[in-house]
Amino acid sequence: MKKVSNNWKQAFPPESVGTAFFEEFAMRAQNVAAKVFRVKTAAEAQSVIAEIIKSSDAKKVVATPEVVSPLNLPTILEPLNVKLYTEQSDIRTHADTSDVGVACVEFGIAETGSVCEDGLAIEQRLITTLPPISIVVMNSANVVPTIAAAFETISKVFDRGYISFITGPSRTSDIERVLTIGVHGPSQLVIIAIDEEIREV
Amino acid sequence: MSSNRNLKQEINEKLMDETLRGSLNRFAEAYPIARAKAYESVDDIDSLRNSVRDMKIETVENLEKIADQFEEQVTKRGGKVFRAKDGDALKEYLFNLCKEKGVKRIAKSKSMATEEIHLNHFLEEKGLHVKETDLGEWIISIAGHKPSHMVMPAIHLDRNQVAQYFSQELNKDIEPDIAYMVQEARIALRDEFLQADMGITGANFGIAENGATGLVTNEGNARLVATLPPIQVVIIGYEKLIPTIKDAVPILRTLPRNATGQLMTSYMSMISGAAPALVKKDGQWVEQEKELHVILFDNGRLKAAKDDKLKQIYQCVRCASCLNVCPVYTLVGGHVYGHIYAGGIGAILTALLNSMNDFKQINEMCIGCRRCTEICPGKIDIPGLIEYLRAKSVEQDGLPFGVKAVFENVLANRKVFHNLLRLASIGQKPFTTGRVIRHLPLFFAGLAADRSLPAVADKPFRDRVKKVTKKIDKPVKRVAFFSGCNIDFIFPETGESVYKVLQDLNMEVVFPEDQSCCGKPVLGMGDHETARKIAKQNIIAFEEAKADYIMFACPTCAETWHLTYVELFKDDPEWSKRVEKLVHNVREFTSFVAGEYDKVGRLTKTSGRQKVTYHDSCHMKRGLSVHTEPRQLLESAPGYDFVEMKDCDKCCGMAGAFGVKYTELSMPILKKKIDNIKDSGAEVIAVACPACMMQIQGGLDKQAPTIKIKHVAEIIAEQIKE
Ligand code: SF4
Ligand code: SF4
Repeated sequence: MKKVSNNWKQAFPPESVGTAFFEEFAMRAQNVAAKVFRVKTAAEAQSVIAEIIKSSDAKKVVATPEVVSPLNLPTILEPLNVKLYTEQSDIRTHADTSDVGVACVEFGIAETGSVCEDGLAIEQRLITTLPPISIVVMNSANVVPTIAAAFETISKVFDRGYISFITGPSRTSDIERVLTIGVHGPSQLVIIAIDEEIREV
Repeated sequence: MSSNRNLKQEINEKLMDETLRGSLNRFAEAYPIARAKAYESVDDIDSLRNSVRDMKIETVENLEKIADQFEEQVTKRGGKVFRAKDGDALKEYLFNLCKEKGVKRIAKSKSMATEEIHLNHFLEEKGLHVKETDLGEWIISIAGHKPSHMVMPAIHLDRNQVAQYFSQELNKDIEPDIAYMVQEARIALRDEFLQADMGITGANFGIAENGATGLVTNEGNARLVATLPPIQVVIIGYEKLIPTIKDAVPILRTLPRNATGQLMTSYMSMISGAAPALVKKDGQWVEQEKELHVILFDNGRLKAAKDDKLKQIYQCVRCASCLNVCPVYTLVGGHVYGHIYAGGIGAILTALLNSMNDFKQINEMCIGCRRCTEICPGKIDIPGLIEYLRAKSVEQDGLPFGVKAVFENVLANRKVFHNLLRLASIGQKPFTTGRVIRHLPLFFAGLAADRSLPAVADKPFRDRVKKVTKKIDKPVKRVAFFSGCNIDFIFPETGESVYKVLQDLNMEVVFPEDQSCCGKPVLGMGDHETARKIAKQNIIAFEEAKADYIMFACPTCAETWHLTYVELFKDDPEWSKRVEKLVHNVREFTSFVAGEYDKVGRLTKTSGRQKVTYHDSCHMKRGLSVHTEPRQLLESAPGYDFVEMKDCDKCCGMAGAFGVKYTELSMPILKKKIDNIKDSGAEVIAVACPACMMQIQGGLDKQAPTIKIKHVAEIIAEQIKE
């Protein structure tokens, strides 16, 4: 999978990253209607995902290769009879009609409750934009305190590509300024922060 | 836009539009609270705003270099850059591109620059299928309206109206339920993204360092537009360029907070170079590099960058918060501003990016209250730029003959002007009771519907000076009083109080006889030539007075002397020197007296029986930054109990000629002020500005006759025994 950087970790400002900022990050993310789960292991993350799939009665899931094998998604989805698409062309064909998208994000920002996505790969973007439920997986130690710290990080790795902050679900206030969730993007954003490292660097 | 709009009629229609009024009213109430909350987590808002301003100032100083670098970096990463000098050039480029690539369907996400040149209309006429995908933009596009707000384009419509438009567009009955309508829009627009051959986005910023463009949105449509179609077009005005990736920080910390009270919008994307896209080949999706076209749009922007004042528009991040706090915008909405940009900044952008003629028709829609400048992330002096543009247009085309004649023959000639005012005092006799004219000849009746007009005093202040002047033995200072027309001819009692208070401080007070109007009304109309004549008379008069201080009890006069006189003569070394010397001695009455009282321990708080509240004049608070001192004086005035009122620093709606010419706008603004005064429970409303005094007094007379209005000078003078 294409990425803006394969090693975001080395780009974090060493003084300004860590679990110390997690609590504020989670609080602000929840303030903008994101669901936040913090778990210790990949196995626990699996059961959170399984739970979401069951309770939302999902039938189709799209996921990036980056997240599929570490979380062993086929083993949890097969017993539930849920279809899983992970190849680029399949993702393009099925993302629009899938119920859930699962992908990794690089880090969280405490100041705003945002997650930062490395979106160079088109499959990454299709997965986080099209399905109504978006599950993003991150490492709970990868939280920076501020937008300034986020850009400190980004400016080290961003030569070309596509980088996004995602802050809660898609929303609009265009009719009578009434806040309404889920316009063109996902109506649910679920952030799963795992303490153990699931991706190889 | 037709060149002969009936602006008054348009304004009246908007004032009668209850949906619009209700929605703008609620918004004006809710917005400041939401914004303040969003900034709770920012330690120093002012220095954050400074960093936006400074970064943008630096950019515009080096604009050519930065634009070149941006172009080079985009090109290096596989994009094409086209610099469009105007709308026609942009349209031609785009249409050729569509022809060449066989584009039939276009999905768009919000871009004000494209609205500026009515791009959709053009493309549709050429037979292309174009869809706006931002919900608000989509609504107004199917309604055939213009945006009435830069961030919330459909704020003028309510759910019922939206449901009607949806029903027409989707050919089915749509219930006016907001969540349901939003879902319908999602469904209706999904295919537009998936099937588009080309996606067009705007940009909130463009980074020279790596050629990235940034998009700040909430709905997620811009991400889809930038991801799905194989051809991507970004249309970005030169003012959106920034030097480095990190320079996005101050924009991202202010724009969402100011625009919608959010800490961050749902999506912020930065796209650098041609990203991968998927195209269908033989039934399979295959990856290829996207075709990326970045159009750098000029249309008047580059010219503005070369003007010392107008280049401030580069500090605008298009958050629209200046509309949200504007007393005029929040009354009438965006459509009366004519072109597509609304509010004070809209008037300026219209002048620069559209036409000076459109600007001329709406330039008076700013009452100079400066509320916008207080919250603008880029610290743009919006009312200042409007005045500047007005002056430019007067320089070019002159004033209407009658106005010019009055200015030259009356205002520039003190004796004629003052004689006229004296005559008015006699002429109005049959209509006055006390301080106000209650009944006007029919001709003026419209002006006085909810407000009495002030009466010209029997005896102007200049004729009372002798009586109130006391001989001070060994004065500590010599003070020359500049009364301004309002105090001289309408509120001479205020002038008497000023004398009393200053003399009580053991100061010698003099009144240079040859002083005239400060020139603000003339300046307001953009006539700098006449203003210079008037200013010179005043300067001479006050040089001759040889005083330690020049004292003002009118903040507008003080501001005019302090700032505008310096500006007026900046190209005239001799007069410039003379002004500089005097300006140094300019003092505003309340802040001066508070300072003196503090020195001698006369500023101790007391609490009396009579409730008094204070109205902050716009010029006083945001022009001179004086707001604590008058309160200190009131709090220490025996017999009074100081209370704050709601929105104490909101404009009273007067603002010189505006209040008379656009009474229909001035009155609703005044009514809110009067309501807030009443709600405070105060028996006395104190002001430190004679223009506000005139306006509020007129409103009280009609709407709350038991409440008294007093200049702060009168309240402190009351405390002094003869
Ligand atoms: S002028 Fe200032 S407040 Fe108005 S839109 Fe621009 S940045 Fe925002
Ligand atoms: S100075 Fe006041 S009236 Fe003029 S644009 Fe700003 S807020 Fe509106």
